[in-house]
Amino acid sequence: MNDNQIVLPIGPQHPSLDEPGSFHITLEGEKVINAVIGVGYNHRGLEKACESKNYIQNLYIIERVCGICSHAHSTAYCMAVEELAGVTVPPRAEYIRVIVAELERLHSHLLWLGVACHEIGFDTMFMYSWRDREKVLDVLAAFGGNRVNYGVNTLGGVRRDLDETILELIVKTLDTLEEEIKLFIDIAMTETTLINRLKGVGKLSREDAIHYGAVGPVARAAGIAHDMRVYEPYGAYREIPVNVITDTHADVYGRTLVRMLETQESIRIIRHCLKSIPDGDITMKVPRRIPAGEVIVRVEAPRGEDVHYLRSNGTDILDRIRVRAPTEANWHGMKHMLEGGYLADVPITIAAIDPCYSCTDRAIVVRSQENTNVMDWKQLRHMSVDYYKKQGIDFAACKL
Amino acid sequence: MKHEEHIVKTLCSRFPFLENRVYIQKEKRIFTNPLSADEFKEVIRYAHNEMDFYRSTHVVGTDDGNTLGLLYILANQEEILLALRKSVPKENPVVQSISDLYPSIVLHERELVDLFGVVVIGLPEGPAYPLPDGWPKGNYPMRKDWNPKYFNKSTMQYEPPQTKEEIKNE
Repeated sequence: MNDNQIVLPIGPQHPSLDEPGSFHITLEGEKVINAVIGVGYNHRGLEKACESKNYIQNLYIIERVCGICSHAHSTAYCMAVEELAGVTVPPRAEYIRVIVAELERLHSHLLWLGVACHEIGFDTMFMYSWRDREKVLDVLAAFGGNRVNYGVNTLGGVRRDLDETILELIVKTLDTLEEEIKLFIDIAMTETTLINRLKGVGKLSREDAIHYGAVGPVARAAGIAHDMRVYEPYGAYREIPVNVITDTHADVYGRTLVRMLETQESIRIIRHCLKSIPDGDITMKVPRRIPAGEVIVRVEAPRGEDVHYLRSNGTDILDRIRVRAPTEANWHGMKHMLEGGYLADVPITIAAIDPCYSCTDRAIVVRSQENTNVMDWKQLRHMSVDYYKKQGIDFAACKL
Repeated sequence: MKHEEHIVKTLCSRFPFLENRVYIQKEKRIFTNPLSADEFKEVIRYAHNEMDFYRSTHVVGTDDGNTLGLLYILANQEEILLALRKSVPKENPVVQSISDLYPSIVLHERELVDLFGVVVIGLPEGPAYPLPDGWPKGNYPMRKDWNPKYFNKSTMQYEPPQTKEEIKNE
């Protein structure tokens, strides 16, 4: 390191990071010439925990690997157990899994759009996209009972069936979202401020994406049609044609376009499912003890390829599970994306892989049980209104 | 399964020692039985340089009793997975890093170091992953004999029962 260089530590706690991660950025002027990335702050020994619970209990742990792509993880886990047990999931359940997976992709990409726009100071778009993400979360909450960990999957199928009310809600929400997403895509393709801010930032060429093993929208934005729904169709994706969205910008702008166009594709897939969903059972019985064996399962999570390795030993407790989340694959190209760029581009470059630190570390943050206070919605709203009243803002008259 | 059969045939003709030790588990899944260090080195270099296995998805560590199992999962352009298995003694678990071939493997190799106590020679310098600073030396939580209930989070010490009395009370 010469006299003109300084090392700037960003994180593990930093306003530009959504979760803890440490980035030691070596700067020459404003230019990044080296980056050392440290993750692991969210490690809670989840895989170890799975080795002491039975298969159905593990489903609840695995669903909590990630708050955003929880359904992708639970789908991969269920598929792994079902394969080892030799159970075939009913077709209706396969379709329901796909509908929820695509709703999850929709809300994940809208969440990302908001975060990315916030990082570049485009907070109006951030508000719009998160407003619309709420509509997807409302559908998921109405169907699964939760905004993020929906608990739809179970071993051998799904726990909930689609009824008329939910179907109506999905159709109505998709119609509204389709219009809003058209606006977002129009902005992404024509708004010069946004284009100029994102173009050329966080470059990862096609060759580099292959070299570093990038997956998901990061790889697709570099022109690689890497999508497990097509490479290795699973569940109802065997019957549903999926158009893989790719782009050749190979930068943050390309990743934005890919994600935005993928939301349209998700809407199309959900509509296709709603039209062709078969009638019938939604679950099959899975034995408590799973025959000894090993399996590698891959699904396409919103952030890319999610790989689960599972080894069973003939008992009701698994021998080993290894969750390779998509972010774990995309970290390796990050150093390359940051180097050569500018300090001001670091937050958006990091955000552009849509990093999930908890996914990478396979962890959940659980605070001490002491002084835990559980509130219902009304109490929570009351507390929120009181809080803002003290700041001089009265939200009490707002209807929710 | 044509591609999978071709890969197995190519591997077996290039490396006769792989005969009956490499098998197709199902479509797009090829596994090997445990390979020695030299065999592994030869096969993985060939898979990378000559067979288009361009990326490694990850390495899975397993505790197999007296040995530690390592499953290196590689993928080619057709997304066929080749899982090369390796086994090292628990008392002396030393392996060579393959980060020269697959740079994306670094994080996963660091995980083997922290969680299984594997010594990875040739691993580039960098922060440990994923255990926190101050983690007690010689504690490898993914080994089966490491029991989380004996880990004291406030002192960051692993405190298994020592005396006969304590063991009896367990």
